Amino acid sequence: MSQSSLRNRQPFLPVDRGEVAEMMGSRFGIPSEAFEAVSFFRRGRNIWAFSLEDIPDLDYEALGLRFISIRGRVPKPTTYALQLFGRFATKNAVDLSDGEARRFIAGERQQLWAPVEDGYVVVSYRGDVLGCGLYSRGDLISQLPKERRIEGKDMEGFSEGSQGCGR
Amino acid sequence: MGVGDRDHSSIRRLGIYPRNADCAVMDGLARYAGVIPEFDRFVEAIYRPLPVTARINALKTDRDRLLSRLKVAEVACRPFAWYPWGMRMGTDKPGNLVENLMGHIHIQEEISMVCAVVLDPRPGERVLDLCAAPGSKTTQIAMMMENRGLLVANDPANGRVASLRSNCERAGAINVAVTRYDGRRFPAQKFDRVLVDVPCTGQGMARKDPAVLGRWSLKRSLGIQRLQVALLKRGVEVVKPGGTVVYSTCTFAPEENEAVVSRVLDQVRGLSLQEVCVPDLQGSPGLSEVGGSAFGEEMKRCARYYPHQNDTGGFFVAKLVKE
Repeated sequence: MSQSSLRNRQPFLPVDRGEVAEMMGSRFGIPSEAFEAVSFFRRGRNIWAFSLEDIPDLDYEALGLRFISIRGRVPKPTTYALQLFGRFATKNAVDLSDGEARRFIAGERQQLWAPVEDGYVVVSYRGDVLGCGLYSRGDLISQLPKERRIEGKDMEGFSEGSQGCGR
Repeated sequence: MGVGDRDHSSIRRLGIYPRNADCAVMDGLARYAGVIPEFDRFVEAIYRPLPVTARINALKTDRDRLLSRLKVAEVACRPFAWYPWGMRMGTDKPGNLVENLMGHIHIQEEISMVCAVVLDPRPGERVLDLCAAPGSKTTQIAMMMENRGLLVANDPANGRVASLRSNCERAGAINVAVTRYDGRRFPAQKFDRVLVDVPCTGQGMARKDPAVLGRWSLKRSLGIQRLQVALLKRGVEVVKPGGTVVYSTCTFAPEENEAVVSRVLDQVRGLSLQEVCVPDLQGSPGLSEVGGSAFGEEMKRCARYYPHQNDTGGFFVAKLVKE
């Protein structure tokens, strides 16, 4: 047995949906109904979102998607959680301009004034959610996973006119 | 043209085939001269690069919204005639699109989208993808299930499971549970549908990686056949009565296609082979016999998709139903 399969002997334990909905509601104003069809489980320092409450008895590597990381002092929603549910946010959400989005996608930290509280924020671009940012004293720090980041020069799909914007 | 006259054995030793070589004399393709319709067009097509294609991920966006986003970004795209969620794209690096980062599109070869369509999973069902990594078909199935029910995505290889997990997360698939069993010994469970998209010699991928043709040999096809049979047998064992099993490969070798399906039909009772037919997608029937081996008339119900028919890669699909 490899190391990773031994680690997976740790079970997925059910987490009360209300608890997760409360976390997402108090920070982002996402209504609890958004999570009605989702069940939550905890394994290690992650809360996972899955489609079913009852899971067949198998040895799982992953169950749905990692939803909230509870590693740090404050629970951090994952990029993928916000990409799915961030559109329901009514607060602590920012929509970026072309130039700001380019920097966020490249994984950078940037100065940005936004009407949000310090902490994790939903970051979107042209109305669609890019992922999670950390807002701290006027700076927005990209929380995109390193393997998802795209360097400015490689970025596709930004029209020519928008490339210099915001620099 | 010179290149075509080059000593065949020296080419083989180099392990690469020159682009302009006379492909028809090469190992692995010459054997299909009497089998593949319009063989000259097939040979010509297999050395053209593959069009850039992607699938719209309805778990995270809707089709009109995505198409209008791409229009604003000045990325040309044209949906397939046969499948509204798939499209050709006018960009060399779709992986660097913001829409890819957001999981609104998934880069996937056109013809590989066919097996989920044939599998036809429904929301709320229990589905198994026995050889799932890297997860293109898995995320397509998750999308067709509308993120409901259970989709077990299995793959034994540790490295490949990493890409599978990553693709499922980016797609926003919350109905996918990833396991790492040897597919031949997947634990006893009952599924409504099972996809058995087996490891194969990958000749149909030649347009992406011409080296696959150089690696092919009859010995390799026969060597992998035992694994393919065992995986398909396990697939039909874990499906419920009335359930569907789809078997697919991306190779042309009948040893890995019709031979596998016919052997499993012989060995497992109560299976029937159903006609594979995808409207508006050109394909050829499976082979009932080739080179002295008879697989049975019913093999014509399987589908073979050749690169020159739809300007895609190559593929084989069979659909079995358990009584």
